[in-house]
Amino acid sequence: MAVAEPYTPQGPAARRRWRPGATRPGQARSQARSRGRAGGRARKRDIAAASLLALSTLIAVLAPVLAPYSTIQPVGMPQLPPGSGGFLLGTDAIGRDVLSRVLIGWQSSWFAALAVIASGLIVGGLIGLAAGTAGGATDTILMRITDGFLALPAPVLAIAVVAALGPGFVHTLIAVAIVWWPFYARIVRGEIRSLAARPHVEAARLAGAGRFRIAVRHLLPGAVPAAVVTASLDVGNLVLTLAALSFLGLGQPQPAAELGADTARNLPYLLQEWWIPVMPGLAVMVMALAANLAGDGIRNLLGDR
Amino acid sequence: MIALVAKRLAAAVVIVVALSVVMFILRRLSPVDPAHAMLGPTASPAAIAHEEHVLGLDRPLPAQLGSYLNGLLHGNLGMSYRTRRPVSTDLGAFVPATAELSLYGLAFALILAVILAVGSTLRWPGATVFRVLLMAGASAPAFLLAIAGILVFYAKLGWLPATGRTSYANPPAGPTGLLTVDGLLHGEPAVTLDALRHLVLPALAIAVAPAVSIGRVLRSSLLAGMRSDYVRTARAKGLSERTVVFRHVLRNCLSAALSMTGLQVGLMFSGVLVIEEIFAWPGVGEYMAQSIPAADFPAISGVTLLLGIGYVAVNTVVDVLQAVADPRVNA
Repeated sequence: MAVAEPYTPQGPAARRRWRPGATRPGQARSQARSRGRAGGRARKRDIAAASLLALSTLIAVLAPVLAPYSTIQPVGMPQLPPGSGGFLLGTDAIGRDVLSRVLIGWQSSWFAALAVIASGLIVGGLIGLAAGTAGGATDTILMRITDGFLALPAPVLAIAVVAALGPGFVHTLIAVAIVWWPFYARIVRGEIRSLAARPHVEAARLAGAGRFRIAVRHLLPGAVPAAVVTASLDVGNLVLTLAALSFLGLGQPQPAAELGADTARNLPYLLQEWWIPVMPGLAVMVMALAANLAGDGIRNLLGDR
Repeated sequence: MIALVAKRLAAAVVIVVALSVVMFILRRLSPVDPAHAMLGPTASPAAIAHEEHVLGLDRPLPAQLGSYLNGLLHGNLGMSYRTRRPVSTDLGAFVPATAELSLYGLAFALILAVILAVGSTLRWPGATVFRVLLMAGASAPAFLLAIAGILVFYAKLGWLPATGRTSYANPPAGPTGLLTVDGLLHGEPAVTLDALRHLVLPALAIAVAPAVSIGRVLRSSLLAGMRSDYVRTARAKGLSERTVVFRHVLRNCLSAALSMTGLQVGLMFSGVLVIEEIFAWPGVGEYMAQSIPAADFPAISGVTLLLGIGYVAVNTVVDVLQAVADPRVNA
């Protein structure tokens, strides 16, 4: 974390005074003071928030162990309310344990979101890197394609792609991955362009480094923080988008446990046995909330971008 | 200004044409064979060959693309495999319901966004509550909000209806297709009121996520704007606080919030698809939901094109509005 310079009337802080967006001297001083007292606590809070990402992953990995019952076989009386008969979240219409289904659904949703984010980062990052370092016509063409994708509603386009490929979980992931990279390409390309103008890149070029070496060793690492912050803020959106597609029946087929689909299929029970459709939806909200809190924490830790 | 509008319109046309080409390619990639889908599994090879000729599938690809684009230009979206009617005829019946839902959703989103932004910016004890609401709202799936709304306001309190657009068997068929407007045009305010009661839950359910995103952008630009030097100058020359906020700050802050609004419309469309299924709303989302299991690609691509064009249109309008609000954007 950057330490604010002490305020001196003739010092650099005073010269910065009128630049739009810069912190004013008094403000910088009071921020520095409050950072001294409460900064440690804020940092701890950010680390705690960021670790929700690890916690959620841990739940996903351990889901088969944590799930008390089978997700496919009926294990109790049907339609038991939460807490009764030893079923923490109750049982569904045919007596399956809702908690077990939510945990396994958590696993598939969480890994699906991470997989799509990773593919978006890699594909978008490579395209952004190629556009940013090549410049000229390559840059123009790649960015026009990127803008074209950004100018269309991604979730709707994903549905059309799944429909063409044929419904299926893997097809849904591929479809979402196809529409999810352009944002990263833009971010990485922007970072690369601004880094390319920096002296260390010029120095590397004068030292005889090739274009590939400059791109990979001197430009790419600088773009990583911005891309990671963007990605971590994006996990929550992706969890919600994938849940919506699953709700529309574009996920795994029956009887697999999936959060969005479990809500959609159990809607007829909403008015009598509300927990059957509500619990999986609530799990989606908890997951997205954890991802959003973690994203905010990571953004604060890696610098306010 | 005219040059800007022309430029944005040209860009929008290019995007829409590109989307149509993508739909054409996806249709070719689709494993469903159109001739088989039209005639059924028992059709004879001769009948299939004849149907392929009628559909133009035996011609070279560029020629097929040409006639496809030409058809789109004349509003021909192809035949639905499921309903056996032209997709454009089907869509015509479903579009008004979706248009009405989306318009009210957008209006609710903008109102909520301003409330959230101002509520969490002001210094008062409730600001924390608003900040928590912003975080929770950003994480709630639209379908969960919808079913929570049904449980509370329909099942528990009985204040609002949970399904459909209207309680009337034959609502006035008016010029706009929007029940809230047609009711007034036909001099039947009860129809409008009834339609509004049906709209509240679904429109709020699709409005929350966009409202939170727009509210966050508005909040951060309001915070930055109120601290800027031009505000000090404006106050120093004796302008009233209201003039400062509305003429100076809000105008400067609108730009970012506006472009966020444009982007959020895309998210809202995916919300519409989900919400229409929950509320049995007779719109394009219902049509899409029925077309997906039937692998009815012409119908699905028709809905996608329609929503894509809607999205591009909204964003083109947003671009122009941005230039009106902030002449510096005029580049």
